[in-house]
Amino acid sequence: MSHGIPRGSGVQPATAEDRQKELQKIKDYKGLVESVHLRIQERQYTIDTLDLTTKLLRWNPEFYTIWNHRRLIMRHILSAGSGEDGQGFKTSHDASVNIISDELSFLLPLMRKYPKCYWIWNYRLWLLEQSTHYLPAVAGRQLWQQELALASKMLSLDSRNFHGWGYRRTVVNALESPELQSDGSASTLTEQEFDYTTKMINTNLSNFSAWHTRSKLIPKVLTKKQADKVARRKFLDEELELIQRALWAGSEDQSLWFYHQNLMSTFDPKYAADSMAPDLSGEERLEYVTQEIGRIQEMLDGAEDCKWIYQSLISLSILYKCLSGKWPVGQSVIGHWVDELAKLDPLRANRWADLRRDLGAP
Amino acid sequence: MSLVSGPGRGGSGGSVPDELKLVVDRHVKYIQSLDTRQDELEYWLTEHLRLNGVYWGLTALHLLGHPEALPRDATIDFVLSCQHENGGFGAAPGHDAHMLYTVSAVQILATVDAVEELDRKGKAGGEKVGEYIASLQDPMTGSFAGDEWGEIDTRFLFGAFNALSLLHLLSLVDVPKAVAHVQGCGNFDGGYGVSPGAESHAGQIYTCVGALAIAGRLDLVDRDRLGGWLSERQLPNGGLNGRPEKLEDVCYSWWVLTSLAMIDRIHWIDGEKLTQFILQCQDLDKGGIADRPGDMVDVFHTVFGIAGLSLLGFPGLQAVDPIYCMPKAITSRIFGR
Ligand SMILES: [Zn+2]
Repeated sequence: MSHGIPRGSGVQPATAEDRQKELQKIKDYKGLVESVHLRIQERQYTIDTLDLTTKLLRWNPEFYTIWNHRRLIMRHILSAGSGEDGQGFKTSHDASVNIISDELSFLLPLMRKYPKCYWIWNYRLWLLEQSTHYLPAVAGRQLWQQELALASKMLSLDSRNFHGWGYRRTVVNALESPELQSDGSASTLTEQEFDYTTKMINTNLSNFSAWHTRSKLIPKVLTKKQADKVARRKFLDEELELIQRALWAGSEDQSLWFYHQNLMSTFDPKYAADSMAPDLSGEERLEYVTQEIGRIQEMLDGAEDCKWIYQSLISLSILYKCLSGKWPVGQSVIGHWVDELAKLDPLRANRWADLRRDLGAP
Repeated sequence: MSLVSGPGRGGSGGSVPDELKLVVDRHVKYIQSLDTRQDELEYWLTEHLRLNGVYWGLTALHLLGHPEALPRDATIDFVLSCQHENGGFGAAPGHDAHMLYTVSAVQILATVDAVEELDRKGKAGGEKVGEYIASLQDPMTGSFAGDEWGEIDTRFLFGAFNALSLLHLLSLVDVPKAVAHVQGCGNFDGGYGVSPGAESHAGQIYTCVGALAIAGRLDLVDRDRLGGWLSERQLPNGGLNGRPEKLEDVCYSWWVLTSLAMIDRIHWIDGEKLTQFILQCQDLDKGGIADRPGDMVDVFHTVFGIAGLSLLGFPGLQAVDPIYCMPKAITSRIFGR
């Protein structure tokens, strides 16, 4: 698989000497692979073997079997440290911490060089899970805490890094787990993480990852606060303000409109049960929808070529009709919105044709 | 017989004419040439993709109408040489067993109608292959790991459903629990992520919708909402991206397109423009398809480009099964429909 490599950019071996060099490299590589396999077959879980896998993985980090070999060696070294190999050889926890820390440092430059290589990330997480298993909670927690800082750093460099967000979520889950609490009490980072998404959104509105993460954290924040109906409404109002400000700043930004659609689900009987304010009355829902239709219509002024506005107005009108039994505006107005939408967005012409059909062609 | 999966070094970056056609013969030659690159270091560095590479190349050839272009016996021998005694398959001989390669192995054997070779010549029979896959399900959560080291991903769940159904062994796993896990990976946009809490992503949506399709539970999908999000993946040049604000790419184009097909919304994007985009990604001289116009080709983007064209009804191609990404004639034979 390759992405973004221009055609013809690879260097063809020009001379017989170049070809000879390449054949020698192949020989070296295959020799190294062979010797690692052999040592693992013979269960030589030693520092020497570990060093050979280091060399090989720096050459080719996609070679997942070698990461598995490295796990076998690590597990052997760490379990020897906890006296589990029955050889009476005990390493202190400090030594185990050092082994794991060295291993984490070995991975860093590889992650930087190959940010999309799944196997490196998997191995790193596996290693950290071992630390939870082999170290006391305080020491294990410290390692995981450093990972949270690492995730922040990666996301500050590339705020949409898929692995980065996923990694952050896993690290947070670990830090919240009972195994990593020194006093056994429950711990939650929900609010801290929610604030993190606000920070990321304020840096760059076009960050679908941050909006997504926010949608997942809100229910947890509210549950933790034991928020009642009033508190939930207040939270909802703040989210509506936030997305309004964002939409005024970037009305062509699809991330924002998807998040807006998500908030509007709060007023839709089909989705409301899972929303942040599940127990709004029908009247309250209708009030909100009316308010949103007004606000989005204001946006249209000067942005008549923004398809997202029409799309939102149409779906809000459908929701209004579902709640009240009548259209919020004349059907000819809705028909006009569908016309504009179809005109502005020819790629999805058939989608808008389906919409027109579902609306009963007003 | 095995195929290299890396981009290689050659290829021509010449200008693309307005009137584009599918250079079928060149693509066939390109795929056949992938077995003859042992003197390139990259051939050895991409060994971890070898079995997938055979699946990608073989499927592309079948869809192009040249199923005989790879030797059948050598293909079967290579697949079986990657098997372990526990039933699982590695990427190549000497590589550890993993779900991803086990699925490719089953798909290849099914495509060349040689599943029974597992019982005749394999290190473990078909039943054992099914048991290996089933052993990777977590009985508590219903999710699937990639191998004994425990990484969880909806790709592996789909892979398990895919291979087990081809082997008629889906009853070995807890399907309702797996379906519940897929639901737990759902998001507000109607899409699905790699695990509960993860952001929607076209590749992951394909695996989750595909798994629900195999389980007969597409009723759980919010078709209009998901269809809307997927249709917004199409960019003005006709190509599709995998997430908002990302670049278009032939592989994502396939995952989005086939997900739309599974929920009966394929007409929600502009098929003609996508066809043109895929055709522009061809290397017209040397064959193969790239991620984007002008980039280096590889067999991965070649099969997904051709599968996309097939799903779009491009003339002269064999029909593709949107769930399995295999020739429809073959899945029809297997499932008797
Ligand atoms: Zn791609």
